[in-house]
Amino acid sequence: MTKEERLKKRHRAEKRFRFYGLTSIFVALLFVVILVQNIFSKGSSAFKKTVITTEVFFDQELLEIQNGASEEEIMEADFYDIMIENLIKAYPAKDRDEEDELLKLFSGDAEIEIKKAFLNDNNLIGKTITLDLTASDDIDQLHKGNYPRDLPEERRRISDFQLVIYDYFVENKKISKNFNNYFFNNGDSRDPELAGIGGALVGSFYSILICLLLAFPVAVLASIYLEEFAPKNKITDFIEININNLAAVPSIVYGLLALQILLATIQLPRSTPLVAGITLALMTLPRIIIPCRASLKAVPPSIREGALAVGASKFQSVFHHVVPLALPGTLSGTIIGLAQALGETAPLILIGMVAFVVDIPSSPVDPSSSLPVQVYLWSESAERGFVEKTSATIMMLLSFLIVMNFIAVYLRQKFEKRWN
Amino acid sequence: MSNIKIKSKNLNVYYGDKQALFDVNLDLNEKEVTALIGPSGCGKSTFIRCINRMNDVIDICKVTGNIEMDGMNINDKDLDVVSLRERVGMVFQKPNPFPKSIYDNISYGPKIHGKGETKSELDQIVENSLKKSALWEEVKDRLDEPGTSLSGGQQQRLCIARAISVNPEVILMDEPCSALDPIATAKIEELIDELKKTYTIVIVTHSMAQAVRVSQKTGFFHLGKLIEVGKTEKIFKNPDNKMTQDYITGRFG
Repeated sequence: MTKEERLKKRHRAEKRFRFYGLTSIFVALLFVVILVQNIFSKGSSAFKKTVITTEVFFDQELLEIQNGASEEEIMEADFYDIMIENLIKAYPAKDRDEEDELLKLFSGDAEIEIKKAFLNDNNLIGKTITLDLTASDDIDQLHKGNYPRDLPEERRRISDFQLVIYDYFVENKKISKNFNNYFFNNGDSRDPELAGIGGALVGSFYSILICLLLAFPVAVLASIYLEEFAPKNKITDFIEININNLAAVPSIVYGLLALQILLATIQLPRSTPLVAGITLALMTLPRIIIPCRASLKAVPPSIREGALAVGASKFQSVFHHVVPLALPGTLSGTIIGLAQALGETAPLILIGMVAFVVDIPSSPVDPSSSLPVQVYLWSESAERGFVEKTSATIMMLLSFLIVMNFIAVYLRQKFEKRWN
Repeated sequence: MSNIKIKSKNLNVYYGDKQALFDVNLDLNEKEVTALIGPSGCGKSTFIRCINRMNDVIDICKVTGNIEMDGMNINDKDLDVVSLRERVGMVFQKPNPFPKSIYDNISYGPKIHGKGETKSELDQIVENSLKKSALWEEVKDRLDEPGTSLSGGQQQRLCIARAISVNPEVILMDEPCSALDPIATAKIEELIDELKKTYTIVIVTHSMAQAVRVSQKTGFFHLGKLIEVGKTEKIFKNPDNKMTQDYITGRFG
């Protein structure tokens, strides 16, 4: 081969490599776009809920309370009759069957929504107000265009008559879409239109908080000891190998461990963020220790020597110089570890967080769900309304992860640049 | 003849199975500059790191024999290395200022040793140290800037100031100019000349010219052994040993 041919060959090889690289990046981006597009197109409608504008007349005869009733009295009062009387007026129904079908267009919480309106203003007796009442899941999905109405009636959940009412509502502009506050404020529910991630959000928050409080100090102190103080011998090597091994242990194993030790032996309350936090902390510990040690290792030895040479003790050289310099890396490693913990599902299923929990937990020892488990639960539900809820929850989860990763990158860049 | 400040007797150093120093007997005179020369890996740095027990940092390092400062055994297991290093400062090959402000770089040593109780005392120490290291004029208006923002030569003088700040008796310099350009090197050499009035200085260097310029006494190391030691003039003009002769004339090394 002549010199020129060799040179050409080298250039070709370089071009080929660039092409491969660009192709892989393109393919990777394509998958991300498909994923995000899929989740967005399915999930974005969950942030709106369909409401039916209804006139509500607070009839004194149907209520056993007076104007100016106290909060307690209102909470105890029965608003069922008021609800029925007002809802059946939303459409001129001919008989009892038609009225029943009409009532099914509203969510199961219509009574509570009317009660809430009265709680806001306890002087409504004898007055008529206009309320946006949440529609049932079927109407919600129909209105969002997720429900096919051209199927034969026996294969539809919505009857022909209900479609007539729906069309009547649309014609009279009585149906519209509002911001879905239930999605953020409510706990889980069997009715998709009332189900929300409020409980899962709080559950995830408590779990991650406990995970942070347990894992961070232990991981940081362990890394500092191992990296700076531990004698370099076989035992240290053995510990190091095992930390790396633990980071690779499938998360479900930690779930089994927690099931046996935390639930069966210590008898901590099942399905709670407390147990979830401890389990996630066990799982996250090696995943924080590894980046922590890496960032301690990245501090140049000359800094340690400089400190020792002016007469600092080992402890002073580590805590005055090495640890502050390693802190950005340590923090970003911790945040990434926590982000992984936030998305973890398998161990939480084993410790019972998969239970159906309606109430929003008020403390870490209340039964609760968590965001990824909520995704898992809803993805298995048959109702059409849960499809968009599933995707919307994934969107929330992803945005938390993106925010956490962003903070991690920001911390690393901002504080590592400062002195260079 | 000046007093002997540091005296090593049959000093042996091992890194694991490998012996790095063989029976080194070397005396360092007070308020004088002693230069240690020799090819890379000959044990010069190992020797000076014995004087402030910097070798303690290396797990596998073992030191036997005697090394004394003013009659005190440095190698004593019970010796407090913190107070030893307060008396024996060190400047490294590569400038290694702390990634903190210039002021904090210098005030750190006095602070941890409880010197300079008040802010004004500390200010005074910082100013004096910087003046002694001939850096004061260049940095007096920007003491709160990071030490790493200085040029290489300035950084090295900052490190010297940091070593001076705790008012040591001995300053060890491990190839302090190897990362610097000739102008910065000249400044450091001038500074060493000035500092020897107050401190006992040991400098490891690869530059014969530098050894001639700054030192009064020179020791030549080869393969962990101290081959020859004597007045700098004598070592460079008329060495006793053939190896010394070969090394200083550039025939090996």
